[in-house]
Amino acid sequence: MNRRAVIKNLALVVSSAVLLPSCLKNSGTPAIALKHLNINSDQEKLIGDICETIIPKTNTPGAKDLNLHLFVLKMLDDCYTKKDQLTIVKGLTEFDNVVQKKYNQSFSDLNIKDREAVLVEIEQNAKKAGGAKTPAGRNTKPQKTVDANPLFAFYWAIKQQTLFGYTTSQYFMTKEIVYELVPGRYNAHFPVKNLKQT
Amino acid sequence: MSANTYDAIVIGSGISGGWAAKELTEKGLKTIMLERGRNIEHIKDYVNANKDPWEFPHRGGRTQEMIKDYPVLKRDYPLNETNLDYWVNEKESPYVEVKRFDWFRGYHVGGRSLMWGRQSYRWAELDFEANAKDGIGVDWPIRYKDLEPWYGYAEKFAGISGNRDGLSILPDGEFMPPMEMNVVEKDVAKRFKEHYKETRNFVIGRTANITVPHYARTNCQYRNKCWLGCPFGAYFSTQSSTLPAAMATGNLTVRPWSIVTKILYDKDTKKAKGVEVLDAETNQTYEFFAKVIFVNASTFNSTWILMNSATDIWPGGLGSSSGELGHNVMDHHLGVGASGTVEGFEDKYYFGRRANGIYIPRYRNLNGEKRDYIRGFGYQGGGGREGWSRDIAEMNIGGQFKDALTEPGTWTMGIGGFGETLPYHDNKITLDKTVKDKWGLPVLAFDAEIRDNEKKMRIDMENDAKEMLEAAGVKNVKTHSGNGFLGRGIHEMGTARMGRDPKTSVLNGWNQVWDAQNVFVTDGAAMASTACQNPSLTYMAMTARAANYAVEQLKKNNI
Repeated sequence: MNRRAVIKNLALVVSSAVLLPSCLKNSGTPAIALKHLNINSDQEKLIGDICETIIPKTNTPGAKDLNLHLFVLKMLDDCYTKKDQLTIVKGLTEFDNVVQKKYNQSFSDLNIKDREAVLVEIEQNAKKAGGAKTPAGRNTKPQKTVDANPLFAFYWAIKQQTLFGYTTSQYFMTKEIVYELVPGRYNAHFPVKNLKQT
Repeated sequence: MSANTYDAIVIGSGISGGWAAKELTEKGLKTIMLERGRNIEHIKDYVNANKDPWEFPHRGGRTQEMIKDYPVLKRDYPLNETNLDYWVNEKESPYVEVKRFDWFRGYHVGGRSLMWGRQSYRWAELDFEANAKDGIGVDWPIRYKDLEPWYGYAEKFAGISGNRDGLSILPDGEFMPPMEMNVVEKDVAKRFKEHYKETRNFVIGRTANITVPHYARTNCQYRNKCWLGCPFGAYFSTQSSTLPAAMATGNLTVRPWSIVTKILYDKDTKKAKGVEVLDAETNQTYEFFAKVIFVNASTFNSTWILMNSATDIWPGGLGSSSGELGHNVMDHHLGVGASGTVEGFEDKYYFGRRANGIYIPRYRNLNGEKRDYIRGFGYQGGGGREGWSRDIAEMNIGGQFKDALTEPGTWTMGIGGFGETLPYHDNKITLDKTVKDKWGLPVLAFDAEIRDNEKKMRIDMENDAKEMLEAAGVKNVKTHSGNGFLGRGIHEMGTARMGRDPKTSVLNGWNQVWDAQNVFVTDGAAMASTACQNPSLTYMAMTARAANYAVEQLKKNNI
């Protein structure tokens, strides 16, 4: 299949040229230069752990391998209004408090199962509250409005941008699904089973 | 002949300007094409055309900074990260909204031919007869038969793919092979046919994307990145099509950064002798002279040029003697439609990104039907399958969830209406001399809105969309009905309309300004009504016809 020829054989990571690798930085500032968002390195780590819980490393790369949390931060920093950013950051603090109260530990210290339980509970509560729409999976664009509830706003924003970042990443588009920059043809009868990379 | 003298001047380089330049130069006229913005060179300057989605920092989205810088463009889909440079700088070129008007402009060589939607439909006989029949506006001075050969001429050169559907409401053209419907669209088309017999039709879109190689152009590669500029030249644009043809004659000079501020009118000959140009980079003023001038600056900017010209003789500008210059602002009103989900094709998908959809031609107020409004609307739409959006049990996070992201989502089918807007004298643009652009030039003020006829039509547009999708087996159909602000159709028309009488129209049946017959306006400004089909193909045909006539008249020394 000639699609192999067009898939650039690069390493997995590199989700975007502007994103810096989140390494070797241990001061109080995040690894990515943010213009608007006031986030410290602990909060960045928390976001990274949430992203990893949503898209974990399995036999395929997870959020951290793909630097998705840096993409999430970039999107939060550039694409949300000041007001929405304040709501989201407030939600971040709330998230931290909720976890501390329930587990007497920070999210990052929890085991995977508990991390998942935290997120599932927030998601279910957010859906019951019926505020902002559940983010769709693939190729979604940022939502126009964030949830009025800060905790839900924070969770949806992180989840949505994680999924957006994952499903538009070079890894996903070249290793998980069949994507070609230049398809060269339109096949109106393409079986679903040929959609995935094997 | 002085250095600034040519046989012809073409103002603007978009779809109609490119056609004017091609036709005039091919007929031997030394022509200068004046473009107010920068040059964009074919292929070389399509800077984002070969980027993969992950190469865009926000993956194609819009940032708050962009939203701040583009207060008009942000109102609809055009504002995005991938082709921001093709849209006008709104700070440099403001305009006034007495009533909200969404004006999406492209100031560069090629104009909006680089970003257009490419849907290409002929008008039908009844579209040219409608004004006379309804007693609305003025009668078109031309009929379908006047444009018919020119439609064919334009289609053959531009390269329009489409199916010969044999519908009188949507005449067939000189088509390249059509693009294919996907499985869901085919199913909907079949059910449509069964339900509506042939009173309503569901056809593949006719688009200016070539499906077979054409001149030096490569056929469509199904990238669906048209509005970034096509490295294959697979869709019609000035750069891919008319400009190379015009350049090949050796008769064309293109001058970017050339804002035409006025047409120079000679009282003695009662003709235009040239144009005044403000160099957008240096602010120097130049004059260019020619025997014939084609005004193709895009609908409202063409009218702006006329309004700013010959004001010592006609205070309202060149072509204002009828009192109609700047009036009858039109567009297609849209933002109304429906969509739903389709079941039963879970194992089917499609490959390639087809930059085209389906079309439902007008069916209202035909064959004796009389609604509580006149004219009608068509729909564009399509079936597709993209986002994975199902909730799997309780776990919408984690490893299984990650794996499920590779599964395609539900099939959806959606349609959106494009409605005819009537010409209303009170829908107008005027020069606002109190507001100036970056170059100190007065700007346009918009005072136009949809009215009763359009509002009533929108009710049908919404209800019919639901009814048709449901009849075709689409489930969970939801309608949407937007605000209907004019401009959003990006099908601006009117303000220098053609007509049969200089007392009620700006242009005659050959697109000549009644008051200066060597000035031709052949873009959307010339339109006397809008029909409901996408207008660009009609501009192409009209321009080729007018250019042919202009050269004939020049040869006979009539202009």
